[in-house]
Amino acid sequence: MEERLKLLSRAMQAAMLAIALAGFLTDNLTWVPAAVVSLIITEIPSILRRDLKLVLPVELNFWIVLALFLHVFGGVSGFYDNVPGWDHVTHALSASLIAALGFIVVLSIDKYVKSIFLPRRFLGVFIAIFTMATGVLWELMEFSMDMWTGSHMQYTLDDTMLDMLFDGVAGIAVAAVGAHYLSHTTRDEFLEKMGVDKAKDNIVRIVDKRRSK
Amino acid sequence: MDSAGHGPTRRKGIRNLLTSRLLEAELSWISSLILFFSTVYTALNIDILWVAFGVTALTLYVLPVVANRDPFKALPWEMTLLLAAPMLLHISAGSERLNENLTWWRDLTSLAFAFSLATIGFLLTVELQIFTAIRMNRPFAIFFVVMFTLAVAGFWGVGEFIGDKVWNTDYLGSNYDVMMDFVWTLVGGVVMGIVYYLYLKATPKGRRERLEFMHMWEATNWRKG
Repeated sequence: MEERLKLLSRAMQAAMLAIALAGFLTDNLTWVPAAVVSLIITEIPSILRRDLKLVLPVELNFWIVLALFLHVFGGVSGFYDNVPGWDHVTHALSASLIAALGFIVVLSIDKYVKSIFLPRRFLGVFIAIFTMATGVLWELMEFSMDMWTGSHMQYTLDDTMLDMLFDGVAGIAVAAVGAHYLSHTTRDEFLEKMGVDKAKDNIVRIVDKRRSK
Repeated sequence: MDSAGHGPTRRKGIRNLLTSRLLEAELSWISSLILFFSTVYTALNIDILWVAFGVTALTLYVLPVVANRDPFKALPWEMTLLLAAPMLLHISAGSERLNENLTWWRDLTSLAFAFSLATIGFLLTVELQIFTAIRMNRPFAIFFVVMFTLAVAGFWGVGEFIGDKVWNTDYLGSNYDVMMDFVWTLVGGVVMGIVYYLYLKATPKGRRERLEFMHMWEATNWRKG
């Protein structure tokens, strides 16, 4: 299963590279920046693994690549304009990504900050809140871009509100998945598997090095 | 104060303290009554979202009183008034007309709403620490207040959106209107986050301890089990 997910991730990365190259060669530059930036983002987990020894779960890795790939692919293929609901699918995917990353961060905070204790049930509530709040901030970002640069990121009110509906659903779904995860392993095991402990030490070392310079 | 020197000044000090304490509590009770009757009013109008808001606010008000069995452990009156403000703005008879005539009326109501959402978030951080095992430090609590404000406004908007679709109403207005609501929510949330941070610092220790719940963030003897 894990191997298959890794293979799929690689295939999608290759496709994005192909999209970037093809766009460059045929002079269709609209989606080239998005493809390149997405490729760079999908490489961040590998960089984290190399430099900080932080290992994100394979599923999460796959999820990151999938969300970016569907975004780039939808733009190039015109699915954003032609397939109804495509934008909501990609929006829900990225919202769930934010939720998952938030989940990991909050778990780490719960573990490493002495004055904070967040029980499992509260974690779920917090993830739902965090995802929805990020969704609102996201829509505000789109709105202000439209205002200042005259771009056209927000279509109609229905569209915006449906995006936010999906933010809520994604947040609650990830909260449920996270609770499921934690019912199998403990918080500490979960974080240890990802190497958060080592990553934290590495970060501390890097910061110390910077300071002593 | 012209008859200074008569009688022990210490007793006078205590009496002053008692009256100010009573006055404060009375202000708080009156504010809670305002909150209560606004909630009843919205319930009579079957204004579901606002009933939910009112009931939540009232619960947060009643919990410390009931848990301590002490009517003097009521929430500070200024917070209670902040909670009641958006309901009053919402149900004020001229609200519809004001909405049409004053361009900034909707901005004002959404800002007031953000203030009280942040207040609910703040009370949640405080009361969760009293009644559950949850512990937060100040930066996290402030972060929670801001996130909570934005998120509830978001869920609220989605709720109104669904309501608009189901009952064929038009509370939300245009995309621009809703986005401006969120802009004010963000402003209100961040401002109140900062205000509550300073508020905790500025509230005299005596008052904090008297109200018995606002010192929770500074619990220093607590260690993770």
